[in-house]
Parts: sequence; structure tokens; C-alpha cells
Amino acid sequence: MKQIPHLLLVPAAMMIVHPAFAQEYLSVTQAQKVLFAEADKFVETPILLTDKQRDTIESNAGVSQRWKKQDIWRAEKNGHLLGWFIVDNVIGKHEFITYATALLPDGKVKGVEIMVYKETRGGQIMEESWRKTLIGKTLADPFKLDKDVPNISGATLSCRNVMNGVKRLLVLQKLLLATE
Amino acid sequence: MTPVRRMRPLLGTYVEISAVGEHADLEDAIAHAFDAIVQIQHLLSFHEVTSDLSKLNMAETGVYITLHPISIRVLRLANAITQASMGLFNCTVGGTLVAKGILPKHSPQVYLPSGNADDIQISKKQAKRNRPILITLDGIAKGYAVDCAIRTLKQYGCTAGLVNAGGDLRMFGNLSVPVYQRNINDEALFLGHLQNAAIATSCVRHTHDANFPAWIVAPDALPKEGVYSVIAHSAWRADALTKVACVATDAVRENILTKLGGRLVLPVENPTT
Repeated sequence: MKQIPHLLLVPAAMMIVHPAFAQEYLSVTQAQKVLFAEADKFVETPILLTDKQRDTIESNAGVSQRWKKQDIWRAEKNGHLLGWFIVDNVIGKHEFITYATALLPDGKVKGVEIMVYKETRGGQIMEESWRKTLIGKTLADPFKLDKDVPNISGATLSCRNVMNGVKRLLVLQKLLLATE
Repeated sequence: MTPVRRMRPLLGTYVEISAVGEHADLEDAIAHAFDAIVQIQHLLSFHEVTSDLSKLNMAETGVYITLHPISIRVLRLANAITQASMGLFNCTVGGTLVAKGILPKHSPQVYLPSGNADDIQISKKQAKRNRPILITLDGIAKGYAVDCAIRTLKQYGCTAGLVNAGGDLRMFGNLSVPVYQRNINDEALFLGHLQNAAIATSCVRHTHDANFPAWIVAPDALPKEGVYSVIAHSAWRADALTKVACVATDAVRENILTKLGGRLVLPVENPTT
């Protein structure tokens, strides 16, 4: 039988409680490319919502439309609408998430990608101290995958905030985005 | 070289995949690794009424149902660990979780709160329930999905990678990552560095928290509140063994885990000294 793996311990100086965690996965342009690889043009068409429209979205989606402005792009190929690329934010128990979703004209979700994930605990000061104490103290690897992002293993955090967000955007699409 | 990191909402949580490889198309490798996870979700989700698992749970008792090879494989693993742990891990507690409202009720049938390994029979391509139990693979399928994603990254030529499905984490290749345990007070405690291994964490709570939907079912009384992290070679095993760690008594926990191929890891004490 293979030996059961061990965790490697490291010098005590780098152990920080409450690490801040912020990771940018994709910029807007990158997320557009990942979600609508076939598109040749993204036309920015942000929507400013009236209070009435926000109320309608809330009553149809069951979650509140916090923002008055929603960042939306038309994904096009040769001038034809492929779908909608929408950037949105949600706040959960531990996390502040910016994500992008691709919606097809018929109201189907094509894909969802997290753009920025931040643990809301800790803070910038902690993050700085985390970075400083870590430098030069990790094992001598050829690359450091996680120089400044700790991997947290805990009870599994639910992703329902993003799921609810996507549901809200589907309602917004149905109410306000023309299929042409 | 810089790793490519991507995150998607999958398996009811946030799944992060990172990959490195000089000669690999990392975006493509990561996209396929996510696809592998989506496939497991479609096959083994209790929530999805069309999954293989739901088909098996809703089939008539005693009737064999043909399932995808992956579903057969995970059922075998779940049943084997249920047997080997003498029910400390138990994949037949779906009835209890439905009654508590933690898992959805898909059928008006009446189910037993829980059963044992003998209640499931698995042949080469088929499986059946011998008694009206509800199988739940929530304690093992997420880990298995992580293993599949890791295998996909390797197949696509990545030389190192990491998959973290809401705390079920596995990595391979020439890298090490610091790992923290989020404890019951929401503090992140340093556990150590992980290399070529998997880690998972489960938590016993006495009140249900929708942010952390998992719920531990114990054979006897509810165990005391606590958080347990287990490392193993594969993520399915680490995932399953955290449930064993949650319900085992203090006196036998470490021994049982070692026998089942895992190791309990505790936060490093006195982090500032």
C-alpha cells in the first residue's frame, strides 16, 4: 500500500491567521473571449434601470436588483446577435464575486465564469502582511502557484449567490433585451 | 511560468482549476477539466431529477437500472467505503436528509431514513436498491469530480495543476500550496503545504446554515461540533473520510482514518511563535 501523504510544514513565521484572498481570474475582454469565442464584435449596451423595472425584476426573480446600471454587451458575429455578455456582482457570506454570464437570445445560459473572487474577511493590511511574510519562505519550487492566494479547505461554501444572480439576469433579459 | 486559473460555479460551490504546462493549451485543458466536472454533476447529483443517481433512487426496489460506467464506479467506491468504515461513512442516508429538508424530495415514495452497504447491489453495468433507501453520493462525488478534473489536466499535457471544489482540493506536479482550514468560528487556520495529494474538510454543525449546505448524519447521536480535515492520495477518498472523521469518536478517529488510507490533519498550533 502506498504511504499516506503528509502535509509539509513550513517555518512558523509565515503562518498568518485570517488571510485575505483576492483573485482576478479574467478581465472583461478575456471573459468575453472565453464565453463567446466565435464573436467578432462586442457592442457595449449598458442598461440604466428605472425603480419600477428593478421592482419588476425583483418580483419575477425573487432576488433584488441592487444596481441601477447593468453592464451588458451584445456579442455579434458579422453583425448578427450571438447573445448577451453581462457582468454582474454578488455578495455572499464570505465572498464578493464579479462574474460574467453569456446568455443566448432564446434565454438559455451559455456559460458562467467567475472574473474576480474576494474573501470578504481579512483586509488589505492582512494581505500585505501575508505577502511580505511569505516571500522567500515557501519551498524552493520552480514556480509558486499560490504565492498570495491561500487555499481554504472548509465546509463547502454554497454558490447560490451566483446562481440567484444568473436567474436575475435571465429575468432582466426577458424583460429588457430585444432578440431582434 | 504563470499558471492559468479559472473559476466556475459548479457542484453547488465554486470550483477553481489552475494549470501549468509549457507545451499544453492551458485554456483548453482547463475547459475540458470543467467539462469532466459537469459530467459528474449530471450523473450523480441528488438535486438533478434526471441524473443517474435519481433514476436509481426512483426506480422500483429490487429492479436493476443500467447506469453510466462513471456512476457504477462511484457507487462501488461509496459502497466499499460504507462497508469498510462499518457505516461511519454511509451513502444510504438520503432519506434522513430529505426528511430534514436538506435534500429535495423528488418522489412521493416512502423511504427508510438510512440503510447499509447490503442495500445496494452493483453488477457490471447496473445497480439496484434492495430496500427503499435513498442513496446520496454527496459525501464522495465532489471528491471524485476533483479526481476526474485532475486526470483531464494530465491528459491534456499539464505538468502541474490544482483543483479546488469548495475545499475539496487536489494537486499534482512540482508545486506546493499553503492550505488553510476554515474552522467553525470562520477563522482560517494554517494547516501546512500540500504536494501531490488531496485534502478535504467537513464540519459538524448543530444548526443548518444555507451558506454551508452540507449536513453530517451520524449513526447514533449527533456528534459534537467540529471541523475535520483529511488528506489522502485521491480526492474521493479524502472527501469520504472527512465524514468518517466527523462521526468517529475521539478515541478511534485517527486509527480508523489510517486504516482507510487517510490522515487527519490539524491546524498548526501557536501560529505566531
